Amino acid sequence: MLSAQERAHIAQVWDLIAGHEASFGAELLLRLFTVYPSTKVYFRHLGDQPDEVQLLSHGQRMLQAVGVAVQYMDNLHAVLSPLADLHAQVLRVDPTNFPGPSHRPLLRQLVVLASHLQGEYTVEMQAAWDKFLTGVAVVLTEKYR
Amino acid sequence: SLSASESFPMSQLFVKVDEVGAEALGRLLVVYPWTQRFFEHFGDLSSADAVLGNAKVKAHGKKVLDSFSNGVQHLDDLKGTFAELSELHCDKLHVDPENFRLLGNVLVIVLARHFGKEFTPELQAEFQKVVAGVASALAHRYH
Repeated sequence: MLSAQERAHIAQVWDLIAGHEASFGAELLLRLFTVYPSTKVYFRHLGDQPDEVQLLSHGQRMLQAVGVAVQYMDNLHAVLSPLADLHAQVLRVDPTNFPGPSHRPLLRQLVVLASHLQGEYTVEMQAAWDKFLTGVAVVLTEKYR
Repeated sequence: SLSASESFPMSQLFVKVDEVGAEALGRLLVVYPWTQRFFEHFGDLSSADAVLGNAKVKAHGKKVLDSFSNGVQHLDDLKGTFAELSELHCDKLHVDPENFRLLGNVLVIVLARHFGKEFTPELQAEFQKVVAGVASALAHRYH
């Protein structure tokens, strides 16, 4: 459950990302592939060494989905249901890749946020986004079994 | 295993920022509040500001980071370097090794905050390998 303050922090951070989904998303994917090369197995359709155009395009798509989740953060089940189906039936990304304190982070967004927002990335924002992304991950992997 | 050349950019990270350890421990305690279970004797942890301003948290964070940066100087033998600390965390402190990975993740975010674009994907990748190595070394003597 997200408190009113947490929701405000989440929306506040999203305002800084909105309009820049492509570049944030591309950096997110670049960091993901650089730090965890094994995650590339889920992106074979982007080729062995995805280029900038592909990263921007796919990154934008991912971050736009996050934007939708932010908009409907009180009803993630409904809004993420099609994506949950996709991840369960088609993509079948191992659940350990999803964000959660102990999970390998598929959405290592927090590092991207931290490196861009720097001084503005308060601990309250970090806590709210960590919790929010964990909630998104739970919904995305909910239909796996 | 990790080569000496990989550690060079990382030691730069530690030289540049003193408060990284304090901030990493503080953020750990706020973002993952269950970790406060090990620090109840530290006094006021009742709010984010209280945690981040807490003198004992800051001092302990620095101590942890000093130990971590010592590990960075001994990448060829992390298990040996952290053997005593591993036993201490198991036998006396009773810390679930999962917490080492958690702290490592928070440390990565704190460094990204401080170094911005300088904390490149490549540097992040190298650093995370060290974090994983240190976490593993700290868990190694658990029994």
